[in-house]
Amino acid sequence: MRPLTEEETKIFFEKLSKYIGENIKLLLDRPDGTYCFRLHKDRVFYVREEIMKLAGNIARKNLISMGTCFGKFTGSQKFKLHITALDFIAPYAKYKVWVKPSAEQQFVYGHHVMKSGLGRITENTPQYQGVIVYSMNDLPLGFGVAAKTTQECRRADPMAIVSFHQSDIGEYIRSEEKLV
Amino acid sequence: MADLVEKVLREAAEKESKFKTIEVEKEIDVIIDEGNLLVCDTNPIDFKLQKKNREDYLKDLSRDNTQLLINRIWQLPTHREDEVVVAELPDVKTLIPREKPVPKKRKATKWEEYARMKGINKKKKGRMVFDEQSKEYKPRWGYKRANDDTKDWLIEVPQNAGKLKKKKAEIYPFEDQFEKRKKKKNERTSKNELQRLRNIARAQKTKVPGVGLTPTIAPSKDHLGKALAIAKKSTASIGKFTETLPKEKPSKFTGKKRKFEPNYGDVKKENTKQLDILNSVLNKTPILDVTQAVNAHVKDENRSSSKRQKTDKKGGKGGKGSKGSKNNSQPKKGKRNKR
Amino acid sequence: MKKEEQKAKQTAKVKDKGQNDLKMKNQNASKNQKGKSKNVQGVKRKKEEVEEEEEDNSDESEDESDMEEDDSDVSDSGEVTGYTDHNKDWLKPAKSGEADSDNDDSEDDIPDDFSDDELSDDDSDEDDENSDDDDEDLLPVEKKAKKLEKKQARDKKLAEKELMTNITQTEKYTLPSGQEVEQETNQPPDITLVQNRIKEVMGVLADFKEKRTEGRSRQEYIGQLRKDLCTYYSYNDFLMEKLMQIFPLEIHEFLEANEVQRPVTIRTNTLKTRRRDLAQALINRGVNLDPIGKWSKVGLVVYDSQVPLGATPEYLAGHYMLQGGSSFLPVMALAPQENERILDMASAPGGKTTYIAALMKNTGTIFANDANKDRAKAIVGNIHRMGITNTVISNYDGRIYPTIMKGFDRVLLDAPCSGTGVIAKDVEVKINKDEKDIQRCSHLQRELILAAIDSCDAKSSTGAYIVYSTCSILVEENEAVINYALKKRNVKLVPTGLDFGREGFVKFEKHRFHQNMKLTKRFYPHTHNLDGFFVAKLKKFSNKVPVDPDKQGTTENVTEQQETAVVNQSSEDKGQSSEEISQKSPETKTMKKKQTNVKKDKQGKSKWMSTKGNKKQFKPGQFKKFKNTSKGKK
Repeated sequence: MRPLTEEETKIFFEKLSKYIGENIKLLLDRPDGTYCFRLHKDRVFYVREEIMKLAGNIARKNLISMGTCFGKFTGSQKFKLHITALDFIAPYAKYKVWVKPSAEQQFVYGHHVMKSGLGRITENTPQYQGVIVYSMNDLPLGFGVAAKTTQECRRADPMAIVSFHQSDIGEYIRSEEKLV
Repeated sequence: MADLVEKVLREAAEKESKFKTIEVEKEIDVIIDEGNLLVCDTNPIDFKLQKKNREDYLKDLSRDNTQLLINRIWQLPTHREDEVVVAELPDVKTLIPREKPVPKKRKATKWEEYARMKGINKKKKGRMVFDEQSKEYKPRWGYKRANDDTKDWLIEVPQNAGKLKKKKAEIYPFEDQFEKRKKKKNERTSKNELQRLRNIARAQKTKVPGVGLTPTIAPSKDHLGKALAIAKKSTASIGKFTETLPKEKPSKFTGKKRKFEPNYGDVKKENTKQLDILNSVLNKTPILDVTQAVNAHVKDENRSSSKRQKTDKKGGKGGKGSKGSKNNSQPKKGKRNKR
Repeated sequence: MKKEEQKAKQTAKVKDKGQNDLKMKNQNASKNQKGKSKNVQGVKRKKEEVEEEEEDNSDESEDESDMEEDDSDVSDSGEVTGYTDHNKDWLKPAKSGEADSDNDDSEDDIPDDFSDDELSDDDSDEDDENSDDDDEDLLPVEKKAKKLEKKQARDKKLAEKELMTNITQTEKYTLPSGQEVEQETNQPPDITLVQNRIKEVMGVLADFKEKRTEGRSRQEYIGQLRKDLCTYYSYNDFLMEKLMQIFPLEIHEFLEANEVQRPVTIRTNTLKTRRRDLAQALINRGVNLDPIGKWSKVGLVVYDSQVPLGATPEYLAGHYMLQGGSSFLPVMALAPQENERILDMASAPGGKTTYIAALMKNTGTIFANDANKDRAKAIVGNIHRMGITNTVISNYDGRIYPTIMKGFDRVLLDAPCSGTGVIAKDVEVKINKDEKDIQRCSHLQRELILAAIDSCDAKSSTGAYIVYSTCSILVEENEAVINYALKKRNVKLVPTGLDFGREGFVKFEKHRFHQNMKLTKRFYPHTHNLDGFFVAKLKKFSNKVPVDPDKQGTTENVTEQQETAVVNQSSEDKGQSSEEISQKSPETKTMKKKQTNVKKDKQGKSKWMSTKGNKKQFKPGQFKKFKNTSKGKK
């Protein structure tokens, strides 16, 4: 377990800022306690300071997880955001996409969001912007990347992809092993 | 004559009286293991005798047992060897436990593992090989071997000497081929030695000392950097007083391998540092949204051109200052101008 | 009519109205009767009037003892024993408790049936008379209809009684003979035969005295029952014996309950939603559910569902968790508070850990541990899904956990067990458990519970509690382990806080446990409709480890005594008390030797003991509180 180096922090924040912009500050400066990011076995964990100190008692080989895992660094030092970060990212999301009930299942199975399944989308979403995908009940379903701007979405045909799938909550069942 | 006989007998009797008899009687027969030269005497000890004189008692006891052993040895088949009578001891009867534990099975070497995986089996090669030159069988290796290339009195310089085919396989025309051969042989043996040591280290889970920077024909930038760093350090003061050149960047090969911040450092400081990094990251993304600005500009231009057309049609009232002129367009972040 | 009236008197049908009059009249009647006077005719007539009134005023009841008849001999107990009129030869009064015909039928023969018939006739007649008197407004047709109905009821009753008599009068059930048993073992088992035999044998055992065949001991019956239950429910003999020891009377219900799955239950994640909202959302998706019961505010039981419960968006969003109902119980017993440090020693797949975190509202710290690495990884998924941020997951063998960390406020140990309480889920448990498995499990559980107790901090401000739970019903894995812990460590049993469930055994077979064992709770599938479970809550009152009296060495004592005796004598001269010296020496020695040092004090000539004036009177039990701790010298 160690803190992130500067390069790692940079890469990590760049990825995060694609989804929540400058709201990362709210993750770092929290009124209810000091939280920190720690790296353990190439995974980034977001954890309260007291818990982090206690977790230091556990050997590296035996520690599996602490707090919340945001994602992992791949071999070539790229950061991949996991679905486990959804709880922290969803409240601060800038650009959101709502999906109709009929298309919920499709997205949760790992498919992209089509125009026919699109319920709502925030105004002025630039193209290739990171978005959070919600259901019509305001239940966060996962991450995505906007394939088209809001304008283009209006004019698109029903079979066109509106948002590319990045990760969804179905992964808790589909790929449990990848979480750790 | 009779005197002589008597004399001899007397001497023999005297001799005998000096020594004890070779016949020994024991209540319980002793167990003799000739293979180990072992006598096991299970007769009970006579405590009375022992108390009187322990040393003597033990001496007599051991003498008796040794006598029995030697009697048995003389009973074994013997033969002569260079003026010495040798008795052949039979096989060992009593099993003595091992002094040291059974050795563990050796871990397979890298090659052995590979061979097992691929299914390559060892093929035993014969010792003698037919040597074409001398037309006879000579050993494959060792003294007076067949095809011994150290005996060559002439080595041809290769044909494509002087031509640079590949950088690695550069061949120089004026190099000493004999030396070259020797050097290659040397390299091969040292490589083999290194492999052997590595195998041992892997088996014992220890580490091999590093070989350092090995010479290469075509060094890369990385390699040169490393070599430079090592050269700088290789002084009596371990590089403390070597001066750097004016524009030289600090070498990435010096210093600790990887240095991280302490895990339990001040979290608040950490957070402030991270906020700074965050700001730098955010500042990279342009606040000016180029596409939107361009769109806005284009739209305004269209509007202004259409208006100009209208005013022209009406009959030259004098176009007002175009609303959407280049100077006036102020693209705002994410918002479109409403005029 | 007179006869009928007399017969009517036999029945004890006292009506509410005019009962006081009745009693008065009865007393009068008894006075007359006690003389056993045969001259009753005159009295009879008077009594007839009285009786008519009685019949008018009294309701039907089944107690005979209140009513005392004129024409019958009444014993002191108040029962009717004989009649004093001319019918006494053949007319026998009904015995008390006639209405409970089972007892009668088992013992009585045909004459009683006859009396029953008479009884029923009397009933109807009385009824008729009553009805006549009460409802004179009824038309004759209606009266007849009423009569018919009563007759039918009477017939029905009779028929039932006949049936009962038939059944009980059949031959007593006999166990199969040795030959039959041999035959059976050669053939494949006949299930219906086995089933019938089970019922028969259980019936015999219920009323052994009456229904046994001579020459067959109880053990034989029990043995036969065990064999049959094994074949019918496919258990192995070892496990069946254990179960029969635990459930002498309910074995059949228990085995039946194990054939059926317990209902599917889910637990609402209070961090993300409320039970009401979740129930609504699931109902909208087509799930048929109900709250689990009064005892839980977060549990829902699912009867059926159109969608797979493990794949709904609500599940994926972490609004609920599929969890067995019995798994709520240890966490409820643990009652974790906010801002505490809690250890869950065997937490995979994370159901209990997530419940603890929900109760703590993501405050404090939870350490979730599991010895199996793959299962520990499963906890990660569940924790992240449910939105829990205060947990550290580790992969250690639970027995060494005290060496890693101590000082927990609460510890939960859901020990790995033989699984005899969840036979419904894993059918193989029926056959593959034997003595060794149970012993192994028990040994591991003992080690784990000691480790759990050592990890807990007795000085915790919010309570030093350890909850031990297993999904097994065997005593070796439950009460025996707790008993072992009570002996080995400074812990005591406290109430679990669960208000339902059976108490644990204080004595069982040859075991005798601590009296407080009744504070532990047992749950069974056939009584509570939960998986078989055992929950015990311990409180640690001291961090010190009590010394095992068996393990003190004797030779050590001797040499040390000699040494310190010398020291004591020399110190006496100097004027120091031996207490001070022995205080210094044991500080460097271990706990074991401390006690021996204490003994030496008495043996060595210490100052205060030698003076005669210092003889104190020690009351028994005065030093009981120092039993398990060192003698307070530090």
